[in-house]
Amino acid sequence: MQDDTRRGLLLVSPPAIYALLMLAAPMAAVLLFSFWSQDFLTIDRTFTTKNYVEAVSDPLYRALLIRSVAIALAVTVVTVALAYPVAYFVSFHVHPSRKSLWIFLITIPFWTSYLIRVFLWKVILGFNGVLNSSLLGLGVINEPLTFILYNQNAVVITLAHAFAPFAILPIFVALERIDRSLLEASQDLGESRFRTFLRVTLPLSVPGLVAAVLIVFIPTIGDYVTPRLVGGPNGLMIANMIQTQFLKLNNAPLGAALAVVAMASVTVISLLFIWLNRRNLRARR
Amino acid sequence: MSGPIISLTGVTKHYGSFQALQPTDLDIQSGEFFSLLGPSGCGKTTLLRTIAGFETPSGGVVRIDGADMAGVPPNRRPTNLVFQSYAIFPHLSVAENVGFGLRRSTQSKAEKAAAVEEALGMVGLEGYGPRPTHAMSGGQRQRVALARALILKPKVLLLDEPLSALDKKLREQMQGELRRLQRQVGITFILVTHDQEEALIMSDRIAVMFEGQIAQLATPEALYRQPDTRQVADFIGVMNFLPAQFVDGSAEIAGLGRVDLPDNEDGSGVVGLRPETLQVLYDGADAPARIAEGDVVEVTYYGDMTYYDVRFDGADKPVTISMKNLAGRAVLERGARARVGWDPRALVVFRD
Repeated sequence: MQDDTRRGLLLVSPPAIYALLMLAAPMAAVLLFSFWSQDFLTIDRTFTTKNYVEAVSDPLYRALLIRSVAIALAVTVVTVALAYPVAYFVSFHVHPSRKSLWIFLITIPFWTSYLIRVFLWKVILGFNGVLNSSLLGLGVINEPLTFILYNQNAVVITLAHAFAPFAILPIFVALERIDRSLLEASQDLGESRFRTFLRVTLPLSVPGLVAAVLIVFIPTIGDYVTPRLVGGPNGLMIANMIQTQFLKLNNAPLGAALAVVAMASVTVISLLFIWLNRRNLRARR
Repeated sequence: MSGPIISLTGVTKHYGSFQALQPTDLDIQSGEFFSLLGPSGCGKTTLLRTIAGFETPSGGVVRIDGADMAGVPPNRRPTNLVFQSYAIFPHLSVAENVGFGLRRSTQSKAEKAAAVEEALGMVGLEGYGPRPTHAMSGGQRQRVALARALILKPKVLLLDEPLSALDKKLREQMQGELRRLQRQVGITFILVTHDQEEALIMSDRIAVMFEGQIAQLATPEALYRQPDTRQVADFIGVMNFLPAQFVDGSAEIAGLGRVDLPDNEDGSGVVGLRPETLQVLYDGADAPARIAEGDVVEVTYYGDMTYYDVRFDGADKPVTISMKNLAGRAVLERGARARVGWDPRALVVFRD
């Protein structure tokens, strides 16, 4: 027993040390910085909460945080709403021998760098882009659409596309785990296919759904590249402001406080979401 | 009584080139405990699922209570199915599982709750309603599945190998309870099983199936005493087969000698004898109709019974004889000589 414990510790120690150095230490540093303050070129190391007061009371920061949460929620809703039918189709309507091929095809977007995909969206959504010229050529519109690039819509479209595979996979796994005889039992007990979906399939896929929501929501709220490249001035998010504080305004303590506030928001919203779904997340056979 | 509750006419099912169900005609009467018995892959589950509506027959007509079921989905059929895996909804409590099918009923909430409690009482699970299902044993899950189906008062209850996952003791107990339940609610039960003993114990009538076909449909007693084919005889209980030649209204049976069997055309075949129709003769036993002698080649002691394998003089293979271990009756040893009494009335003839 003791030997097993020692061997276990030995096995996990390299990744544990890595995680400690690369994740926990920087986090601690960020937390520490957020309670200091910037005194022109030097850091004043006296404990203060003024960064937090500024972070939550300044209308600009508050607006950016609310916008980040709103965009992340929109991306999550769009992504999961698009991912669920795909996962459902692959799980229930694709022949078992072809399922792995389908899953493989779904991961194809990962073959290209995320940055390149964002640039591709610029080409597609731009003023003279693929979409506008096609619609103009077809005579559907008379002048190029401008609401699709350099604003929040573009951020949502780009992020939803990027995160779709991440959302499809956990939902697919949850659907695969559902015993098919449960669906037959529901029908046998008088429910239509649609009602069976609502009463059996959907609640039983909640663990996958929750995983998909968290996988999309958590990284999206702090995304920095996408709003920077396709967001335009009104599409900027909290991460862009954090970068500005650190690199341009030379105010690392305020940037750190903003980062902590953003992380806290994500944590609170995620925990709330998990709590709301607690009934369908309980352990079961 | 009105017409049959279930009536199949020429029902067939094939998957691609595989014929799962040969053209089958079958009438099941209302209130019957009916069993579909056969080895795995014989089409019994396909037949059950066709009645439930989960399989669409490739041909033929399924009628339930006189109504043609073509195009009627499972949720609109007056049948309920107890699944082999029980198919208990893991995200619902016991009471929510049992009350699952009541959503569309017009009863009030209190009436539904009372119906759930009544159904739970029927299967001996009073007070289990609020519990989660994942902590329940196999036997309890089985009861939940039963209550969930019975609460809807179906015209026919279909049971797909419901007891196969239970251990022996529990299985025997549930066999008794299922029979009691069936008499109590008066609903037609159709049981699919590969366990011949289970079918014999529980059923009013049994259809024995092989390779997608009903080989024989009879009461348990008729099936046991007068099997139509060697295959049926072999599947139901233990049957000793002895080669025989039929000549001039009598049969020459290997090891047993000549016996009068009128109304048999000349030719060859086998005769069958159940183990309990043969008896090892002890001193002072009543003189039986016929006596044969042979060597005891194997002794299997069961406590209440002893099974002897005896090779008759002039026979190739031994026959199995079952004897009750009555007080004062010695158990023969392997290698001993045995005098065996038998009765020509117990012979079952299978012609080639």
